[in-house]
Amino acid sequence: TMDVAAEDSDQMPSGFHAKAAAKAARLRREAAKLASAAALESPGGIESRPGEWAPTQSKLLRRVAVAARPGHFELSLQYGPYSVAYDTTGRLLALCGRGGHVAAFEWRQKRLMFESQVNEPCHALTWVGAGSTPQLAVAHSNWTYIYDAQGLELHCLKRLHKANKLFWLPRHWLLAACTDTGHLHWQDVSTGQTVASYCGHHGPLRVSALHPDSGCVLTGQPNGQLCIWTPLEKRPVVKILCCPAGVRAVATAPAGHAVYTLGGDSRLRVWDIRCLRPLSVSDNGADAASIRLFDAAPQLAVSQRGLLACPVRQGAALMVLPAGGAKPLLSHPSPGRLSDLAFCPWEDVLAFGHARGLGSVLVPGSGEPNPDGAVHPLSGKRQRREAEVRGLLDKLPPETIAPPAVGGGVNAVDAEGIEEALARKRAAVMALPSDEVRQFQPRRRSGKASGELNRKVGERWQRRRMELRQLLKSKKRVLAEMGDEGADAAGGRKTKKAKKISQSGELTKPATGTFLDRLIPKAD
Amino acid sequence: MKVKLLLRNPQDYLRETADDIHKLARNPAPELHPMSAETEYVRALNAAKLERVFAKPFLGCFGDQGDQLSRVCMHPRALSLCLSGCVDGRVAFWNIPRRSRVLQLDAHSGCVQGLCWHPEQDLFYSCCDTDRTLKAWRVGDDLTEFSRPVSQRHLDFAPLNLDHHVSKDLFALSGDAVYLYDSRRSDPVGQWKWGSDSVLQARFNPTEWHLLAAVTKDNALLLIDTRQREPLRRIRCEFRQNALCWNPQEPFVLATASDDYNLYSWDARRLASPACVYRGHTNAAMDVDFAPTGRELVSASYDCTVRLWESGRSQSRDVYHTKRMYRVFAARYSLDARFIVTASADFNLRLWKARASEKLGALTPRERAAVNTAEALKQKYAHHPQVRRIVQHRHLPKRLYQAQLEMKAIRGKQRRKEVNRREHRGEDKEPFVPERDRHVRGVDE
Repeated sequence: TMDVAAEDSDQMPSGFHAKAAAKAARLRREAAKLASAAALESPGGIESRPGEWAPTQSKLLRRVAVAARPGHFELSLQYGPYSVAYDTTGRLLALCGRGGHVAAFEWRQKRLMFESQVNEPCHALTWVGAGSTPQLAVAHSNWTYIYDAQGLELHCLKRLHKANKLFWLPRHWLLAACTDTGHLHWQDVSTGQTVASYCGHHGPLRVSALHPDSGCVLTGQPNGQLCIWTPLEKRPVVKILCCPAGVRAVATAPAGHAVYTLGGDSRLRVWDIRCLRPLSVSDNGADAASIRLFDAAPQLAVSQRGLLACPVRQGAALMVLPAGGAKPLLSHPSPGRLSDLAFCPWEDVLAFGHARGLGSVLVPGSGEPNPDGAVHPLSGKRQRREAEVRGLLDKLPPETIAPPAVGGGVNAVDAEGIEEALARKRAAVMALPSDEVRQFQPRRRSGKASGELNRKVGERWQRRRMELRQLLKSKKRVLAEMGDEGADAAGGRKTKKAKKISQSGELTKPATGTFLDRLIPKAD
Repeated sequence: MKVKLLLRNPQDYLRETADDIHKLARNPAPELHPMSAETEYVRALNAAKLERVFAKPFLGCFGDQGDQLSRVCMHPRALSLCLSGCVDGRVAFWNIPRRSRVLQLDAHSGCVQGLCWHPEQDLFYSCCDTDRTLKAWRVGDDLTEFSRPVSQRHLDFAPLNLDHHVSKDLFALSGDAVYLYDSRRSDPVGQWKWGSDSVLQARFNPTEWHLLAAVTKDNALLLIDTRQREPLRRIRCEFRQNALCWNPQEPFVLATASDDYNLYSWDARRLASPACVYRGHTNAAMDVDFAPTGRELVSASYDCTVRLWESGRSQSRDVYHTKRMYRVFAARYSLDARFIVTASADFNLRLWKARASEKLGALTPRERAAVNTAEALKQKYAHHPQVRRIVQHRHLPKRLYQAQLEMKAIRGKQRRKEVNRREHRGEDKEPFVPERDRHVRGVDE
């Protein structure tokens, strides 16, 4: 998709592209207007007077309706630091602990789906599949297991060995994993095919995030690089230096082009993944390149509306920053050291896992109010089933996973393909005899009857050289005609323009600055 | 401090009663629809594949006629009736949906060369060249009325084809000349001829009532105005035109099926060259018919295939073939442009769908919307190589495929030689002639 702002139109290579970008921007504005006109809900938020402190949860609970209370709860559990994951509809919450505790429940009704002790440390988890048949992928210490809604083990993925982060790509039906051994895996969950599985040769990939809009995996390296990986390339497609020290955390918003990196210098920077340039953030009211997060532990979570959650005070509390801002919106103390943060999609709720269990807090303004389709918390079973079938039919091939900075997508003009085809045509027409052949002199023989032989050979090569000269001339003529717009290369018909060019001897077509300039015949 | 928390009322998202349809949330904001172009492309690809999955155009045979069929004639007003003429003189009356024969008559002693219906009355005409008769038959509810013709006319020439005027009581017989007969008069009202060879077929223009077109055995196409004594124009083609058909929607367009494997569509206002050359058959084209919409053509060919074309596009849209179908001599569109009836040398009439992947029967509104969406997607991504190769590809049996490759090789050779000659001799001595101008020898007035 042409995801470029209208202001970038002056950077377009030609008028055609500028017009296309302007049209795309206009359509986006109209779509936004339609969306706001048809909107059922409005987003949440906190309006505080200047000087007022960020509200606590108890203060929020007193000011909101009683129906919001299920969003605030604490669970004291004993099996080690917990990781949490919401499914794409926001209805289900799963947790896994380093002590082997794996559970999933519907957090609104507090209805437990399953709970089990797997006797192995579990490091990461993600919901896979569509909402009608939810499955949970959990990365154990060695392999990755997939459990169904009742907690039965469905699959053991031995290829996903020592995974420390799991990602779900809903449009491609891919389970992506980054491992401690430096490998990256993409597994198709609908067919079971391994799409890609390779070693990245960039050390253990401990800091990673998924860019949901394009499906690329971003990893942060200890040398401050941010690498973007795709299943079809065994090397990072893009590498940018984003921090002076090592990258401690990477996070992306569920939609959009912003990438948040937390460096070893405790500075949070925001990048635009489309042009790989930093976006400025507001640091206490002023525009800055980065925000200093004091004592920030390396977990970041971004909500659908751009709110950023991070642990502070060495994991003793969590803080929520507004989109592009540095003044905290709210904070909440954590009973144990914070290990994971996850915003609930479509709701103003944030779940956090810590060493002593997990909790959930209300964060007004974090959830997208108006969903599209059946992927939202209140969709019925039948709608989710239909959406699953449609999602399977619309499954995108892994070739579509590409960072927006590289590659134009399915509607881009295949300039390379056109150039290649032209080069092939050209080579077929201009298959000139090499200089060696043209300048070849036959060796002179000596001995009896050599005079006659030398004469004959010389004549033969003389004739051949004449032929080659004729061939060169006619091929140059055909090439000139081929360069003209209206000429047919096979037919060799000369249009008026080609005749004009050959008669006048000079170019009448101005150079456009694009690859089509190669077709303008050179005046030799 | 003002706090607003996002809280949804489930009533806004659930249907009210069990009779309502389920509610679907909608937000067209592009942030919620990433990779929409890729999703659309995948849907276009799936639409193309499903079209090929459901492409089963053959509906059935009408039953063995016992001898080779020469003519097919559709009823001008009733969708489900058609006539067929056989080389042994039998005329059969068919019910198309049931593919069953209603009645069969021993109409003539020789090959039935012409069949046509009266536009208003329940009457049809048949003619034969062996017994040189033109017979009129009445169709009634009582089938005994069929046993004898209503009227019979002896002709002093051997008629090769027959066509009725669209509204007047006139019909045109082609034999050694084009004869215009009035049903109330015994002698022909008009006669036109150009040259000494016989006329194979003459057709009335459905819109311009005085205009006739005819194809002759000496590779000519004639344009005749019945108010004049001599034909208006003669177009001398390179090869014989076997059949012709006027476009029912565009008064000045006609199509001919030629022995040089092509079909040609002609604009009567400018006959110097055909408007379009339809290339695809690997043997002589025997019959051509326009769809009632005027936008599509069907052609029957000696190479045992039936091809469908879009008017103005020189590559065929579809090709129909079966193992048992032999040389196809006639092809006709049904009145609703949805079905095609073909008559072939294997003694069978066959019924086909005009749109191979069309679902017959009533479509629900959602089905129709899905079909229209699929069509729109295929058109939008028609230029993408993966979509194009699926939409264009048709499986052909080995003999037809080899024939196609042979034609391609022949044409390639001809083109290459032309290019070489042009390079050698120069543009002036070997000028480039466009495809359209290569097939007409001359136009005579």
